[in-house]
Amino acid sequence: MNKSTSIFSKYPIPIFSLVVLSFPFWFEYIGGYPGLDTKILIWALMALGFDILLGFTGYLSFGHAIFFGVSAYATGLMLKHFSPEIIPAMFIAVIVGTIMAFAVGYLTMKRSGIYFSILTLAFGEMLNSAALSTLQDITGGDNGLTIPDVKPVLFGIRMDGLSMYFLAAAILILGYYLARRIATSPFGLILKAIKSNQERLEYTGIDVQKYKLGGFVISAIYASIAGSLMVIYEPYVATEYLHWSTSGELVIMSVMGGVGTLVGPMIGAAFMLYFENVLSVPLGEEWLLVLGIIFMAIVIFLPGGFMEGLARIKKRYFNKSNKEEK
Amino acid sequence: MNHIFLQILTGLQISALYMLIALGLTLIFGTLGVVNFAHGALFMLGAYFAVEISSQFGFGVAIIAVPILLFIIGIIMERGLIRFFYERPHTDQILVTFGLAIVLGEVMKTIYGANNLPFDIPKWGSGIVRLHEYLPFLEGFVAYPKWRLILIVVSFSTVISLFTLLQFTKFGLIVRAGMRDSQMLAFLGVNITRRFTIVFGIGSVIAAIAGLFGGPITQVEPEVGMHMLIPSFLVVVIGGMGSLPGAVLASLILGMSISFTAEYAALQQIIIYLIAVIILLVRPRGLMGKKGLME
Repeated sequence: MNKSTSIFSKYPIPIFSLVVLSFPFWFEYIGGYPGLDTKILIWALMALGFDILLGFTGYLSFGHAIFFGVSAYATGLMLKHFSPEIIPAMFIAVIVGTIMAFAVGYLTMKRSGIYFSILTLAFGEMLNSAALSTLQDITGGDNGLTIPDVKPVLFGIRMDGLSMYFLAAAILILGYYLARRIATSPFGLILKAIKSNQERLEYTGIDVQKYKLGGFVISAIYASIAGSLMVIYEPYVATEYLHWSTSGELVIMSVMGGVGTLVGPMIGAAFMLYFENVLSVPLGEEWLLVLGIIFMAIVIFLPGGFMEGLARIKKRYFNKSNKEEK
Repeated sequence: MNHIFLQILTGLQISALYMLIALGLTLIFGTLGVVNFAHGALFMLGAYFAVEISSQFGFGVAIIAVPILLFIIGIIMERGLIRFFYERPHTDQILVTFGLAIVLGEVMKTIYGANNLPFDIPKWGSGIVRLHEYLPFLEGFVAYPKWRLILIVVSFSTVISLFTLLQFTKFGLIVRAGMRDSQMLAFLGVNITRRFTIVFGIGSVIAAIAGLFGGPITQVEPEVGMHMLIPSFLVVVIGGMGSLPGAVLASLILGMSISFTAEYAALQQIIIYLIAVIILLVRPRGLMGKKGLME
C-alpha cells in the first residue's frame, strides 16, 4: 500500500468532502465551466448507487435510466404544478422511484445475470416508449417536459449556481458515507457474497432474493435522487433521461472508473462528463467513437477500470523502489 | 376478412425482421454462450453495406457480396475479440460487445453521418402486388407492397435453410452436439472451436440478410442497430435463450401482437413488453427454453 492510499483509507470521508467541496474552485483551471461541476456530482451520485448493485452483487442493470427518468419526470411535474419548493418534489420523486424499483426489481431480479441485463433494458424501453407516446399528454412526448418560468427554491433560497452545487455536494457526501457504511455492514457483505457464490449463500438458508431486491432498490434510490437533482439543476426533463443511452452511459462510466470500489464509478462519471463536454471540443464529432474505444480497451485489458490501473501503477512503482533498496 | 388478412400479413412482415435478427442472436448464444450486444450493429453494417454496394454495382451484387462481407467480419469478430471472453464472466461479454456496438455505430456515423441513408428498392421489388387477383377469398381491391412480401419469403426461407443445415447435415449434428456438451465433443477429438467460429459467421450472415432486405423498411442510420436489438432480445428471451424454434414462435407472437394492436396506438407501443412480462412471469425460462439452461 502506498502512502497516499493509506491516508485516503484512513480518512475517506474528510478527504472526499474536501475534494468535492473545493472542486468548483479549481475545476475551471482544468477547462471546466460553471454548471458542469454540478452535473458531474449528479452523475457521480447515480454511479455511486449503481456500484451498490453492479459492484456488490455483480448484477449488470441496463435499465437504471428508469429511476433517473421517472423521478426526473415526477420532480418536473411537481415543480410545474405544485410548488417550486424542492423538498416535496424530491420527496415524491424518490417515492415514485422506489415504487418503480420494487416493481422492476421484483420482476427482473429472479433471473440470472444475462436475463437480468436484457430484462432491465426491455423495461427501460417500455417506459421510454410509454413516456413518448402513451403518456405524452403528461410527459410532453418528444419535446420533453418543459417547465417554463419555474425557479426551484429550498426554504426560499434560490437553487442555482453555487447553492445548487453545494446542495448536490452535501447529498453526494452523505451518499458516499452511507454507501461505505452499507459496504461494511452485514447487509453489504451478503450482497458481496451474492456476487462470489449465490448458490452457496442460498444453501445457508438466507433469503437471497430479499437481499438482492434490497440492493437493487437502494441503488435505484440513488438514481432517483440524482434524477430529481438533475431537474432541479436544470428545470427541464429531456427525453434522454429515460432513454436506454442514459443507462448505457452509466454502465460505461462505472466500468471505466472501476466497479466495486465506490470511488471508481464517481471518478468514471467525472471523466466521462469531462470527456463529453471539455475534451470533445478538440475531438469534434468523433468524441464518442474515441470514448467507445477507450471503454472497450478498458474492458479488455483493465477490467478493474481506472482504480485497477492506479493500483497497478502504484504496485509497479512500489516494487521498483523496493528492489532499489535491496 | 380483408382486414384480418392484411393484419396477419403485416404481423408476418414485422415478425420476419425480428425473426432474422433474433435467430442469429439465439444461435450464437446457444452455441457460444455469448450474449452479443453487437448483433444489432451487425444488422446495421449489413444495411449500410447493402446501400453502398447496391448503389455502386446494383442490388444483385449486394445480395452476394454483403453476406460474404459480414461472414468475414463475423469470423474476425469472434477470433479477434469474442473468443478471449469465453472464460470471463457474462457481464464482461455484455460489456465488451456493448462497447463494440457503440464503436461500430460511431464509425458508420463518422463515415455516413447521423442521418438516414436512402435505400432504393431494386426495380423488380418495388411497387405493389394485387393480392385479390391471386387469392379468391379476398373481396374487392387488396394490395400489399411487393418488397414486404419478399421480406417475408426471404425470412422464412432463411429459417428453413438454417433448420435444414442444423438438422440434416453432419456439420449441424456436430454443432447441435456442441450446444449440449462442447467439452465432451472436444474429448472425442472434434474441433468444435472451428465449428463455433463458423456458427458465429453464420449468425452474422443472417444479420446481413436482415440488413439487405430489412434496411429499406427500417432505416439506415447508426442508431438502427440498437433500435432493432432490443425487441430482438425480447424475442430471444420469450422464446427461450438458445432455442431456435422458440425464437421463431416468439417473433410470430410479437409481430402479430404489434399488428393487431395497430388501432390502439397507446397500447401498440408497449404491447411487446407487456407480453414479455406476462410470459416470463408464467414461464421464466421462456416458451421453449431448455430446462437448466440459464435458469
